[in-house]
Amino acid sequence: MSDQTHVPAGHDLAPGEEEQHSVGTRILGYVVGLALALLLTATSFFIAGTDLVWQPSIPVALIVLAIAQMGVHLVFFLHITTGPDNTNNVLALAFGLLVVFLVVGGTVWIMAHLNANMPPMDQIMRMQ
Amino acid sequence: MLGKLDWSAIPFDQPIPLVAGAMVLVAILGVLTWVVVKGHLPYLWSEWITSVDHKRIGVMYILLASVMLLRGGSDAIMMRIQQAVAYQSQGYLPPEHYNQIFSAHGTIMIFFVAMPFVIGLMNLVVPLQLGVRDVAFPTLNSVGFWLTATGALLVNVSLVVGEFARTGWLAFPPLSELSYSPGVGVDYYAWSLQISGVGTLVAGINLVTTVLKLRTKGMNYLRMPMFCWTTLASNLLIVAAFPILTATLAMLLLDRYLGFHFFTNEAGGNVMMFMNLIWAWGHPEVYILVLPAFGVFSEVVSTFSGKALFGYRSMVLATMAICVISFMVWLHHFFTMGAGPDVNAIFGIASMIIAVPTGVKIYNWLFTMYGGRIRFATPMLWSVGFMVTFIIGGLTGVLVAVPPADFMLHNSMFLVAHFHNVIIGGVLFGAFAGFEYWFPKAFGFRLDERWGKAAFWFTFLGFYVTFMPLYIAGMLGMTRRMQHYDVAAWRPWMIVAAVGMAVLTIGVICQIMQLVISIRNREALRDRTGDPWDGRSLEWATSSPPPVFNFAFNPDVRGEDAYWEMKAHARQQSFEHEELEYQDIEMPRNSPTGFVCAFFAAIMGFALIWHIWWMVILGGIGAFATFVVFAWRDHDEYVIPAEEVARIDRINIEERRSLVSMAGAV
Ligand code: HEM
Ligand SMILES: [Cu+2]
Repeated sequence: MSDQTHVPAGHDLAPGEEEQHSVGTRILGYVVGLALALLLTATSFFIAGTDLVWQPSIPVALIVLAIAQMGVHLVFFLHITTGPDNTNNVLALAFGLLVVFLVVGGTVWIMAHLNANMPPMDQIMRMQ
Repeated sequence: MLGKLDWSAIPFDQPIPLVAGAMVLVAILGVLTWVVVKGHLPYLWSEWITSVDHKRIGVMYILLASVMLLRGGSDAIMMRIQQAVAYQSQGYLPPEHYNQIFSAHGTIMIFFVAMPFVIGLMNLVVPLQLGVRDVAFPTLNSVGFWLTATGALLVNVSLVVGEFARTGWLAFPPLSELSYSPGVGVDYYAWSLQISGVGTLVAGINLVTTVLKLRTKGMNYLRMPMFCWTTLASNLLIVAAFPILTATLAMLLLDRYLGFHFFTNEAGGNVMMFMNLIWAWGHPEVYILVLPAFGVFSEVVSTFSGKALFGYRSMVLATMAICVISFMVWLHHFFTMGAGPDVNAIFGIASMIIAVPTGVKIYNWLFTMYGGRIRFATPMLWSVGFMVTFIIGGLTGVLVAVPPADFMLHNSMFLVAHFHNVIIGGVLFGAFAGFEYWFPKAFGFRLDERWGKAAFWFTFLGFYVTFMPLYIAGMLGMTRRMQHYDVAAWRPWMIVAAVGMAVLTIGVICQIMQLVISIRNREALRDRTGDPWDGRSLEWATSSPPPVFNFAFNPDVRGEDAYWEMKAHARQQSFEHEELEYQDIEMPRNSPTGFVCAFFAAIMGFALIWHIWWMVILGGIGAFATFVVFAWRDHDEYVIPAEEVARIDRINIEERRSLVSMAGAV
């Protein structure tokens, strides 16, 4: 971790702040991000309604596009980069992802078992 | 006009809450009148209510926790008496009242005692230990505190206006749904937790950022005191887990207010989803509470053993491991609800694994004490008492984490004994240890040791007499939350537990006496050196109480136990500050944002509970306007001139000089 020895106040970069870039470069960054985001959104809507591709692949394609969309947001708008001053942000993101993975994954797994073991009353009646 | 609110909301037929409420009201009005008449209001407003100083906010958190501890404790006394008398009879509390009491007790103790106590300690101490002047977001910090206070206020209002939930402290549906709980009780519960939950989240973000971003020169991660590490872990858990609670309660509220069907029995709702989500927050929550307590014990044990913490790095690792694993065990709270053997086995094993890093910590504390020159001052007594008690609680935890055993013990008094064993023996003992340890730092005088020790022994003994019988009652088959019972075998244990409660109450009285006596003798107990315990970390390097800016110079840290090294250094060379140039210091300005925000939040919460929609809008607009005004502020800092800094710091150095020369003489 490179940013261990911060002098408090003043010299700190708030998460996502980039001091050294000029306004022009920053605006360019946001414009590129916006364009990519719009492109991905448009593609999703197009794919959802089209019959040009093999139908079962559509959900997969949508998931891929959604993940790409998240990536674009993280890089262009939330400024998650691999730069040395970004270790905290990357670690925080990793921790967040891990927790989401554990909670969502665990929930799906638990709920599937609960549903299998405890179906609603009318379903139990039908089984008998 | 007033929604569901009318005169029937005031329980004129129930003397107990009414009298209690009236007493509280009289007390509050009395204090307010005294404050106004004596002319303390401006002081209170400018020095405390609008303060953004992390030390002041920390103290206010702890004050809130202490007051709520008395409220939750009264509930506890009433429940223990009820169970002691309600054998083959109805006792003195009717069921609907008893149910409100145990629900309020749990809610208050977790959210408005344990949480504010540990958050208060972290606020007070962490910036000092990191050697910095403030937390990352001072005004937000004040907002967080006041929102927590709002939640506590709403819970107490429910005592006299309306009712509280009768659902237990986690409001499981379908009982908490509109069809089974049509009253406002669950709404009081849910809105106070939503509002204070925002406050907690804000505090969590603030403290994580403080630890990650504000550390003094040379204070790298592996030189941070243990308490800072546990603060980091605990607040990471807050940031990760509290949104789950907020979302779950929001879904419950949607069910209740807008006819949704997330957790209802009908229309495809799924009750088990609530269990799943609430415990996905609930288990991390218990570690949010206990990790800071572990931090306190680490500081206290190493200070009073006169040794560096044994196995510092393993302790860091154990803390961070707990931080992650605590998200992998939540199903152990509903083993019995049908997930089946595969799922139960995995979560059972994970639950046992989480006991390993906890065990590591116990060994570290023991080895820290081993070979040390131990001083049994009050904070150390609480710490040793904790180690003994917490081991028992941890072991019974591992026992209920074995699914087949849990099928016998779930929802029994055994479980009640387990979690009081870890929460009182862990969190509360930790809070008291921290209170005794850092009180001189916060106020500049020590606490009376004799009353402190008496408080410890009564609380310690009282705890065992109250809760060990509950283990036995649980094994005799007694379930939790019984308003009355007909089994003769349980009766004696309930009576013993009630006696224990009396002993615990004496402990609390001793604690209050300690405070009163110490305030009265404060001149004799004055801590002039800033380092009353011969401490090791940076909070002891500044005066007691510290100046607003904490440190005239941000300390330069060269190793673990930063202040200990400085002291060793200073004995040889004497202090070198003399030559240094003092500089102006910028500090954040006080701001009423937090208080005003919370004021509107309280109005909005109350209006939401009673369906008074115009008032909801009013409160919402008010809170938003406060935010806008704050966001557009011009001046957020003021300057303390260098001469003033120099003057304050020189006094401190003089006092310290005498300490060093005295220590040198020994
Ligand atoms: C040593 C590790 C621990 C293990 C293995 C453990 C295990 C368990 C299990 C399996 C239950 C559920 C039992 C049931 O409902 O039948 C439980 C309940 C509980 N535990 Fe622990 N526990 C541990 C430590 C802690 C700590 C440190 C705390 C708090 C600081 C805590 C607080 C609670 C609470 C509040 C409940 C009851 C919640 C309720 O049902 O209302 N536990 N524990
Ligand atoms: Cu748990």
